[in-house]
Amino acid sequence: MPVTGGTINMMEYLLQGSVLDQSLESLLHRLRGLCDNMEPETFLDHEMVFLLKGQQASPFVLRARRSMDKSGMPWHLRYLGQPEIGDKNRHALVRNCVDIATSDNLTDFLVEMGFRMDHEFVAKGHVFRKGIMKIVVYKIFRILMPGNTESIEPLSLSYLVELNVVAPAGQDIVSDDMRNFAEQLKPLVHLEKIDPKRLM
Amino acid sequence: CRSVSQVPVAEGKSVQQTVELLARRLEALGADKQGTFGVDCETYHTAAALGTQGQTGKLMYVMHNSEYPLSCFALFENGPCLVADANFDTLMVKLKGFFQNAKANKIESRGTRYQYCDFLVKLGTVTMGPSARGISVEVEYCPCVIANDCWNLLMEFMQSFMGSHTPGIPSVFGSKHDSAYSPGDTMVQYMELFNKIRKQQQVPVAGIR
Repeated sequence: MPVTGGTINMMEYLLQGSVLDQSLESLLHRLRGLCDNMEPETFLDHEMVFLLKGQQASPFVLRARRSMDKSGMPWHLRYLGQPEIGDKNRHALVRNCVDIATSDNLTDFLVEMGFRMDHEFVAKGHVFRKGIMKIVVYKIFRILMPGNTESIEPLSLSYLVELNVVAPAGQDIVSDDMRNFAEQLKPLVHLEKIDPKRLM
Repeated sequence: CRSVSQVPVAEGKSVQQTVELLARRLEALGADKQGTFGVDCETYHTAAALGTQGQTGKLMYVMHNSEYPLSCFALFENGPCLVADANFDTLMVKLKGFFQNAKANKIESRGTRYQYCDFLVKLGTVTMGPSARGISVEVEYCPCVIANDCWNLLMEFMQSFMGSHTPGIPSVFGSKHDSAYSPGDTMVQYMELFNKIRKQQQVPVAGIR
């Protein structure tokens, strides 16, 4: 995953949807046509979600992700803030994000800081790009025994589809471009702004 | 491979004068000045909020080294050293409810880099706030990454300009055996040096810039 930096306030703009397994190929075919011409990129990642509980009501969440199929890649540590409550007309979910590349002793370090792992999963799928937009189509796998990424099972009979952009704060035009792109994927997949709080 | 050590301030002289003395000795050997360097260290401690986790009293150090401008090093004493990119500083700002930056503890070493054949020497003035607290000398033997293979050579070179102030073998070398030396090992040495200097008495009078 690309790691950008420099500005203290980078925001992630996100639209999500899903497709059933049997519709995967048509979606991939459409994406290959619409997106930037590049080598098809697949990934197999292991993500662990860590929590730091303090006196505040909500714990601090950090996500640690490592590649299982590409050797030599740094680990990816990600912080995602609460979704911005904004304009109902804004087309995408917007939240603060901080992406950091780290050495591979990340989990030991997080535990030393006081974090504890809450859950983990494996994600396997495809990545496409169109300009600054990134489109990811992936399947989530449940890990049957903690720490053992060899024995996994799919969580559902579908693939999660995410369209996201990481850009400095204030660039709301990004969400217009995302909506326009999402239109071109209909009716194969409907990408929407899904507020995680409404699912709880 | 690098050795980071402290040189005491010469009798009757200031920090600045002692640094100049060492610089002159290096230049007499034939070393060339090659720019400047800086290493800094900030201290964070777990805020009272974490009392329930049983992690009270832990200190986390976040360090930067001008030799690695895009990186940030985070470490715990006797614990792991994380190498991350510069965005780690941004994350620490987000974590300020859990980790407090003890700003008064910020310590840094800045100075000149000297190159002599395959050796790189960094002579730094260690400061905490406005006051100079000591002198750091980092000596690197560039071609070798296996610590135990080049300690004797490093020591011999250091004796040529540090004389009796040549340090003993760094403790990080001990645990390396035959594995490669890494930037994290340098940062651990600086952390130990800074901790030692922090505990020392403040250098009297003339050292203040």
